[in-house]
Amino acid sequence: MGMSGGGNRAVPYINVTPLIDVLLVLLIIFMVVTPLKPSRFKADIPTQRDPNEDLSKLKPNPLTLVVSISTDLQLKLNQDPMGSVNDPSALAAKLQQTFQQRKEQHAYKVGMETATNIPEDQRIEKTVFVKAPRALKYGDVVKVIDAIKGAGANPVGLQVDDLP
Amino acid sequence: MGMQAGGGGGLQSEINVTPMVDIMLVLLIIFMVVTPFLQQGITVAIPRDLRNPDEDQAINKESSVIISVPKDTEYYLGKKKVNLEDLKAAVEKALANKKEEDKIVYIKSGVDVSYGEVVKVINAVREKGVDKIGLVADKKKGKAAAAAPAT
Repeated sequence: MGMSGGGNRAVPYINVTPLIDVLLVLLIIFMVVTPLKPSRFKADIPTQRDPNEDLSKLKPNPLTLVVSISTDLQLKLNQDPMGSVNDPSALAAKLQQTFQQRKEQHAYKVGMETATNIPEDQRIEKTVFVKAPRALKYGDVVKVIDAIKGAGANPVGLQVDDLP
Repeated sequence: MGMQAGGGGGLQSEINVTPMVDIMLVLLIIFMVVTPFLQQGITVAIPRDLRNPDEDQAINKESSVIISVPKDTEYYLGKKKVNLEDLKAAVEKALANKKEEDKIVYIKSGVDVSYGEVVKVINAVREKGVDKIGLVADKKKGKAAAAAPAT
């Protein structure tokens, strides 16, 4: 890679300034791009329960929302059919509407009724559970979680016991 | 990329771009080779183009626990292949020094893996006191959250 100059008139040298300019720009571009911004859905899972615990004392929460997916990819919110995995917009719309109603009716999470120091939006009961059969593809389940999250549900819980 | 020989007159006033291009290409290649190694865990066909996952830089941290499920019945903790029993012990060990609120396990699962496999992993980690998981998914580039503002 030598650069042989012609004769001995001028000392040949490479002007490195533009080279360094471009290299620095490249470096900066890569430094910005490299951390790839990974993202994730946070989901809650039930902790291991003591098998001897008396479950009959637990009161069912009337505000519980369960999205169930059937093996033929149909969705259900509690008992009502809500479209399919490939078009979860009906589900998202219904969830959004439900949360809006709860906001108007001040349906707070258990234990948060009087916690006025927490913003109103975070006190509304927006927990949604996802129940999917084991035979389903993971990708389909994540699609549904995406839609649920988009409707504003927080937290999203995964049901892992008694799955078909 | 032509290189015109000055020859004739006295001074050549052109920038010789050849070495510059050389170095740029080398740098590009270096970065292209290195970039895949920066992620934690193995490469998995995670769900792509989703609208609403939250960004979480902790996924790239060396210390976070990442379980990858590229195919049914194949589990990796970080880059190491493990079976379900070892997974429990390893997860317990990895989370032992963490604060309660940091006890989160990331699951990188392929889109074609059956949900039952993911449930098995979840069942394994919840025995160790984990009640939060992160399902790693790829956020759609560009404008996100077209549907549905949160409230």
